Amino acid sequence: MASASSSEASVETIKIKLPEIKLEKKEVIFKIRRYDPEKDSFYWKEYKLTITNRTTILDALLRIKETQDPTLAVRYSCRMGICGSCGMVINGTPRLACETKPYDLGTSIITVEPLSNVPPVKDVVTDFDKFFSNHKSVSPWLIRKDEKEQFEDLKEYYPQTEEELDNYLQFSYCIKCGLCYSACPLVFLNKEYLGPQALAQAYRWSADSRDQGAELRLKLVDTDNGVWSCNYSGTCSKVCPKDVDPALAINMVKKMLLTGRKR
Amino acid sequence: MQKTRRVSPRWGLWLRGLDEWLVIFQKVSGLALALYLIGHVLAVSTALGFGHNLTQQQWNAIIFGVLEKPHIGVVSVGALLEYLIGVLLVIHGANGFRLILMQWFGIGLPKPSRHTFPRATPSPNATAQRVYKYSVAIITIIFIILATYDVFGALLGW
Amino acid sequence: MVAKSTLMKWHYITGLIMIVVVGIHIAYRWPSYDASISWPAVQSQISMAWYDIVLLIIVYAASYHAMNGLRTIMLELFHGGKAFTTFVDVLVIALGLLVVVVGTYTIISLIPL
Repeated sequence: MASASSSEASVETIKIKLPEIKLEKKEVIFKIRRYDPEKDSFYWKEYKLTITNRTTILDALLRIKETQDPTLAVRYSCRMGICGSCGMVINGTPRLACETKPYDLGTSIITVEPLSNVPPVKDVVTDFDKFFSNHKSVSPWLIRKDEKEQFEDLKEYYPQTEEELDNYLQFSYCIKCGLCYSACPLVFLNKEYLGPQALAQAYRWSADSRDQGAELRLKLVDTDNGVWSCNYSGTCSKVCPKDVDPALAINMVKKMLLTGRKR
Repeated sequence: MQKTRRVSPRWGLWLRGLDEWLVIFQKVSGLALALYLIGHVLAVSTALGFGHNLTQQQWNAIIFGVLEKPHIGVVSVGALLEYLIGVLLVIHGANGFRLILMQWFGIGLPKPSRHTFPRATPSPNATAQRVYKYSVAIITIIFIILATYDVFGALLGW
Repeated sequence: MVAKSTLMKWHYITGLIMIVVVGIHIAYRWPSYDASISWPAVQSQISMAWYDIVLLIIVYAASYHAMNGLRTIMLELFHGGKAFTTFVDVLVIALGLLVVVVGTYTIISLIPL
């Protein structure tokens, strides 16, 4: 409160007690399965590192790169779980390196491997070309019947109610990290399977009330290598870092195809 | 370009999931049952003389003379195989019924919704799925008890 | 040709039908399996016209379900373009027809019994 006597406003200092975060340190061993493109083979390399309870796997890998082995190749970008670049298999499960803390995993040996079901490039970096082309093949964009609309100056935006938004909102949180694709056993068995990410996005766009291309998209996924190759093992939904639940989306597509009802 | 070579999967992730085992089981048991169907229809039709030679001799010659003949001790191998096929059939059918209810009628699947944090439960871990799986297990156990009495009851003295 | 969803719709319909008819077929093995496959027992089972109809339904439903299932598994595991798909289609239809023809012929010949 400003005192009546001063001509300038006085700033009151309020002391806030911050919660005490106890910093704990531990020495762990990182066992990294690295791919050597020249020899076309994998090999394990161990690194010892002292980490805290706030260190993430990505922090640790970058510190290894800085202090121990500059040849370690790691793909990352945002460091906060929104770009989807740092997907790796950590202690046997596909996870995002920036969102996983070794302390939370509880083990003293942390294994880091490249994502499965995709071709390796170097060390823990993998090739995502097929993953992205699968996604592109389901036309993951708004399709309107009148193609000239996109060139016109529209007077109003496409209206959408809350219920219509809720129909597809959770599936729009996909960050294309590839963890679901890596975890899916059918991607492993069926080399031509589109994968949970692409099929979930096919549902996301088909269920969007602003979209008019559901028929076209559903025809694309109504194949042996489309939704029907999914057998609901649910592993994709269990590893998704954004709770997109691709298994649910694929079942909704199957329900659309079997019942003939668009939504 | 190593485009065709893929990093191999981490088996541990799939070995500890019941859903993943059910996927493999559905396919493997389906294959076994398909082969059994072909054999069973052909064998029984032959034993019935394709509807024209319906005599006890024809029936006994094929069923008891060939199919049920091999024995391990007192247990007939044919009866044991039919028992195992029956168990496979029941699990395949019960799990299949669960898949049909989910994929066609959407029973047991949550409605897509706005997420609230902390983490939402993915649909495979939801309560409905647990109910489904327990039902499959209970139906299987009941069938195994009934089938053991039915096929081996006499041997076991029940 | 036929959309996969149509094939799968019939796969599920035949699955549901089979739960009922195969259930009946297995129920007739109660209370003793050995007794139920002896000639007098079999004779009494096949003399019931409705049971013969049930057997006929099993032949059709099971053949479709099994053959579509086999086709799905083969096309998931192996890839070879249009030629391979045609080969699998032909194999599966041939096996299915074998079961259907043999089964139908036997059962139809039984019914006037």
